[in-house]
Amino acid sequence: MREENDSTRVVRAWRFGSLPLLLIGLAMVACLGYLLFVPQAPAKPDDTWTRIQSEHILRIGIDPSSPPFVMDDGTGRLSGLDVALANEMANAWGVKIQYVYSGFDGLYDALNAKQFDMILSALPYNPTRTQDVFFSRPYFNGGPVLVVRGDDKTTTRLEDMRGKTIAVELGSNGDAVARKWQKRHNLDVRRFDTAFDALRALQRGEARAAIIDPIAFIDFQHAEADTGARAWRIVGNPLADENYIIAVRRDSPTLLREVNKLLNRLEGSGRLTELEEENF
Amino acid sequence: MRYLSIQFATLPKALVWLGRGCVVFLTLAVVWRFAAPPPILVTLGAPQTVETLYPKMGVHTRMTDEVETWKIKKNYEMVREMGAPYVVEFFPWAYIENQKGQYDWQHADEMVDHARAQGLTVIARMGFVPPWARPPGTSVNYLDENNYADLGDFVAAFAEHFKGRIEYLVIWNEPNVSFEWGQRPPDPVEYTELLKVAYTRAKQANPNVKILAGALAPNLAPPDSTDAMNDLDYLDQMYQAGAQKYFDILAAHSYGWQSPAAEPPSPDRVNFRRTELLRDIMLKYGDGAKPVMLTEGGWNDHPRWTKAVTPAARIQNTIAAYDWCERTEWIAACALWVLRTPAPTYTFNDYFTFVTPDFDAKPIYWEVQKYARGE
Repeated sequence: MREENDSTRVVRAWRFGSLPLLLIGLAMVACLGYLLFVPQAPAKPDDTWTRIQSEHILRIGIDPSSPPFVMDDGTGRLSGLDVALANEMANAWGVKIQYVYSGFDGLYDALNAKQFDMILSALPYNPTRTQDVFFSRPYFNGGPVLVVRGDDKTTTRLEDMRGKTIAVELGSNGDAVARKWQKRHNLDVRRFDTAFDALRALQRGEARAAIIDPIAFIDFQHAEADTGARAWRIVGNPLADENYIIAVRRDSPTLLREVNKLLNRLEGSGRLTELEEENF
Repeated sequence: MRYLSIQFATLPKALVWLGRGCVVFLTLAVVWRFAAPPPILVTLGAPQTVETLYPKMGVHTRMTDEVETWKIKKNYEMVREMGAPYVVEFFPWAYIENQKGQYDWQHADEMVDHARAQGLTVIARMGFVPPWARPPGTSVNYLDENNYADLGDFVAAFAEHFKGRIEYLVIWNEPNVSFEWGQRPPDPVEYTELLKVAYTRAKQANPNVKILAGALAPNLAPPDSTDAMNDLDYLDQMYQAGAQKYFDILAAHSYGWQSPAAEPPSPDRVNFRRTELLRDIMLKYGDGAKPVMLTEGGWNDHPRWTKAVTPAARIQNTIAAYDWCERTEWIAACALWVLRTPAPTYTFNDYFTFVTPDFDAKPIYWEVQKYARGE
């Protein structure tokens, strides 16, 4: 009885034309096998990467007016997280860095005019530019974060703040997020003139948490290390995204791949966090 | 009838099918016409008035590249609800007169009518030269004396078209900056010539229209700079070139950068009250009866830009700036930069706005609104 049913099914399947499907499937398996197992010629590196390798010079476009990412002390000496990242590139790729100054508004145009090889300058992800350039993976998210004191072991998300007091910096992105969620989570939002004032309210116990700029929080942890602020923690992911990325021209896929490889390695080894600690 | 049937019978088959095709096409067209949803209707609505304790308050809007009518209306509603009676808006010459003598007022009319429906007074900025009025390869800000008459024609047509709807025309923007002067070294004498033509033609078309001399970019450029000319020197040289007769009001830009609104002016500082130094030059030439309108200005609160202040400082400075304008007799209007941009710029420019591109009012918007209501 069972054999009969199986054979009936097979006949029906043939009738409904599974042969073409089978052939397509076999062709796809063959293609996959070809791609996986037949040795391919390595992709030719792009011209930008080739030039960087041959001249040992990486040209980076910057507008040094964005602390703590990239700033000029007035004598031409640069510092910040982006400069530290550039130094990591120099070490990893055996190149020298040549900085090319540009106004922030002109960075994309100058990149595409080949005045430099990449933009590494506190550049936020811009979805409207994805047709013009390639973006690296983000290396820092500067969106506002929920911060609690070290003795708060229970808060795991914003919803846990229902009915509780939250401190924010008046007019900041954190304030905007708090205003958005205030009604839904019944938040008691208190506004302060600066991020430090908001965090001090948290320190004094006047607020249960703060929604704050992550760099301001790191600054505060440095400034108030003696008072235990080092043990404070960021809860979950940023409440809004402000991703910083590196941009290269669309004719530089090898450079992009190398940038992403390096960022992955820096993150995996914990070096990226170290660089943030050193520069924020 | 017999005649007709004979005719049909003798027609080639192809023509018969063509006829049938036409009938089907027309039927579909009629069905489409009546079945299609009506176009989205955005009415002007009942005329509104701005309720505010501070009648000089204003804000620059960015409607030139705003396509959808409902967004234009929404922008102006939010200006009114914030409590600002004045708006400054850019009317690019090239958009309206893309071919010499052929004017397309549709978008400009839409903007002006919606602004007026919300009870707002429009200050119109002129500029953006069409390709036919400048040599090939020049920038949109390039205009030389060969085409001043063309600008005059446009300004006259504009003044005539908007008679009774727009009373204030700003001629050019920041002519003391090379970028705004067609990538040429700024030239106050040349600009005065341009202003003279625009003023004369506008007044012929509409004697009631008020002409504003283009606001200068506040800066401390050294005398040998080709990028910009010090605004105080530029205005002085405009007066020396005879500009006094060719404007009714001086437009000014007042950015505070990292200084508080109350910081006193000084020739070696670019701060909010630098406008007072422009006023001193007007007084020096006996032109004190003319008012000044701030057509741009304000502070930026980007969290990581060296020229920005904290959001709280921006709010405090902005309110103090509006307050200073209200108390300063010779200031006629105070329009700060900028209500909203149609799309995010993903730069520090996003932190000059009062409202996000999604129409979310930022905290500064609510605080200014409270101020305007006396709360």
